[in-house]
Amino acid sequence: MSGTDTARGPKSIWRQLADSKVLLLMCVPAIIFFIVFNYMPLPGAWIAFTNFNYRDGIFGSPFVGFKNFEFLIKSGQLWTLTRNTILYNLAFIVLGNILQIAIAIMLNEVRLAWFKKLSQAAMFLPFFISSVLVGVIAFNLLNYDTGALNALIKQTGGDPIKIYSSAGAWPLIIIMVHLWQSTGYGSIVYFAAIMGIDRSLYEAATVDGASAWQRIRFVTLPSLKPTFIILVLFALGGIMHGNFGLFWNLVGNNAALFQTTDIIETSVYRMVLSQNNFTTSTAVGLYQSLFGFALVMTANWIVRRINKDYALF
Amino acid sequence: MKRRNFVRVGAALLAIGISMPALTAGAFAQDAPTEITMLTMGNKPTNGRLEAMLEKLNELLVAKVNAKLDLFYIEWADWQTQYNVQLLSGDDNVDLVATATDWLYAWENAEKGAFLPLSPEMLQANAPKTWAQVEADGHWDLTKLADGKIYFAPEDNYTQYTNHGFFYRGDWAKEAGFENGEVTKFEDFTKYFEWVKANKPDAYPWDVAGANEAALTGYIQGHTDFQTLQGISAGNYIPFHTTAANPFTVTSWYMEGDALVEAAKLAKQWNDIGVWREDALNYDGDTREELYAGLSGVEQHHTQTFVNDIVNNMNTKQPGSDPKFFYWGQENGNFFKDIFTHGAMAVSAYSKHPEKALQVYDLIRNDKEIYDLFNFGIKDVDYVITADGKLGYPEGYDSSTMALGTDYWWGRTDEFELPRTTQAPNRAEIIAALDARAKDYPYSTLIVNKQNIDSTLAAMAGVLSEYIPQLQYGKFEDPAAAVAEMRQKLKDVGYEDARASIQADMDAWKAARGL
Repeated sequence: MSGTDTARGPKSIWRQLADSKVLLLMCVPAIIFFIVFNYMPLPGAWIAFTNFNYRDGIFGSPFVGFKNFEFLIKSGQLWTLTRNTILYNLAFIVLGNILQIAIAIMLNEVRLAWFKKLSQAAMFLPFFISSVLVGVIAFNLLNYDTGALNALIKQTGGDPIKIYSSAGAWPLIIIMVHLWQSTGYGSIVYFAAIMGIDRSLYEAATVDGASAWQRIRFVTLPSLKPTFIILVLFALGGIMHGNFGLFWNLVGNNAALFQTTDIIETSVYRMVLSQNNFTTSTAVGLYQSLFGFALVMTANWIVRRINKDYALF
Repeated sequence: MKRRNFVRVGAALLAIGISMPALTAGAFAQDAPTEITMLTMGNKPTNGRLEAMLEKLNELLVAKVNAKLDLFYIEWADWQTQYNVQLLSGDDNVDLVATATDWLYAWENAEKGAFLPLSPEMLQANAPKTWAQVEADGHWDLTKLADGKIYFAPEDNYTQYTNHGFFYRGDWAKEAGFENGEVTKFEDFTKYFEWVKANKPDAYPWDVAGANEAALTGYIQGHTDFQTLQGISAGNYIPFHTTAANPFTVTSWYMEGDALVEAAKLAKQWNDIGVWREDALNYDGDTREELYAGLSGVEQHHTQTFVNDIVNNMNTKQPGSDPKFFYWGQENGNFFKDIFTHGAMAVSAYSKHPEKALQVYDLIRNDKEIYDLFNFGIKDVDYVITADGKLGYPEGYDSSTMALGTDYWWGRTDEFELPRTTQAPNRAEIIAALDARAKDYPYSTLIVNKQNIDSTLAAMAGVLSEYIPQLQYGKFEDPAAAVAEMRQKLKDVGYEDARASIQADMDAWKAARGL
């Protein structure tokens, strides 16, 4: 196969592919994954525009145009769901990244090797706890009759609080639990990025008399900017997708909390579960995907306008 | 050259491979028994009892119709979704499908084409006994869609009551001051609950878990003449009704009248007393076990559960508790006999052996030997017949680990059923008392065209699932305002259009029957 690389002119596509065959081979599992789970089901989105019946199948069922989307608007929940989903994700992205960067920098500054390892492990562990367990733990901590928090309040002579009826408290609870679960894991990426920063920059800063704080402010943070932007862009792509497992296990079917906790995923899940309604749920999924797609394109366009190098494409 | 040889060998192997199954299939087609798979509901038993029974059953089935039966279980976790998704998948390995019109989406799935229409000729040829019995009782009409075709066989030959109500303790009620320990009015449970709260500090007056609306329906049914129109569901709610006074006018107790507000006010009173856990909506414990453990004053379910499980369990686990049942509509007689399609058997539209499937069903339903084996298991191992002719269990039998678990609720027959040692001793009297008062459900043959109102029903489900659980648990400060708000939202999502559409079907049905 080799021996002809001296040919002049731009390499043909086939030549380029042949040259990168090992890299491509390593990509194959990921490519197969996306084809099977993300591209092959795409035609099924047609179900959102039909009055689906089993006998005629997805493409044989009668076409009904946008009728299935009507319910989204009719139910009056479209606005609440979109708002909740986006606000929660914004909170997760903004607070999450700030915390992750802060923790990565702190880890970087820790000099005691054993303490660094220990704290890293301790922060990493919650990521591996299933959200089913998280839901159970939360209920046992927070419930009115037997919860640990209320037991403590009662013991100290206070009045127990009805947390599972207070919709206002839940954004705080959900965001805290999410950050508790994901911050340790997310900080690893930033920590790795910090490790990759050219050491000579720090040495130069030290020679110039920069304090630890100044090194962070003028070397570490600017060097993390590309990583930060890419991570935020990736996260924005999922801004219409909620952390279903966490929300469902924390809130479940408690309608008293829906106003502040219902996101698109949980709402669709309830609809399918109790309504056997494949068409409207697909319609919601399609709305979610298209809206998310538009958001990513817009965000990328804005970034591109500011600094071309930071844009994803 | 090499390559050509390779191609030749490959082609030869391929040809052999293709022809082999054809040859073998041809040679043995007459002898091999047909494998029939029945989709049923429940958690697949893992104690080996099912397999042992099936082995014996299949010997009989092979001898009689040259078929073998296997069961495919839709397990209880997430069963609504699993059931519908399984039917949606078009799996041709399933032949018989367990279904029901009031709780297992039979109409929806028949409309969507999941079930094979069964012609009278096909039924007469392959399920002659089933055909004859249902025909003699005039019940095939209950299984037809608007196209006039039969879609399933009803469980119309089996007496049961699945009317809901409260199981409560006669001993506690007596101490609370009820004569004979009997509560006779729904709102009188306030007194019972207050007594439990004051005197049984470890118990909840009514330990109840998750979303439900029993506190509302229990009140409304006994205080009005609303009658629920089965089979038109908006999520977990069945939101359309008629009244006994105006049986052909479609209405809804969620929308009309004061009963819902009164019921919600009573629920709020109960919530303030602390009848249930403050966080009942998020609680998911086994409340029936709480009742058995003496930790709950009330449990809500239906007559069948009461006579089969509650009485026996309470008498053994809480001796002297004198279990009693108060059913919705007890005050005014506003309750119904079970519809005949509370259990039914359909044939999958994708079945490769629909005739054979019907032959197997006919035997399970009508052949005593096969019925006993399939329902009760192997005699003297899974069950015994006691000296007084009851169906009992062998020494050391534990139903939680040794149950057969065929869960056959799709064509039982009174003729083959025996009284069981675990049933309430006064089961017959309870059934007779209900028989004397219960009304016949008048709308069994009413078919509602839901295609035009599906999206409205979905939107209504969204509204109801937000308000009803909170009304049920008395979570609104002002129930009347919350009901008004809910009614406005239901109107906004098209309640009136849906009602009018159902009314049109009702008018056509009424005219066709000359009512």
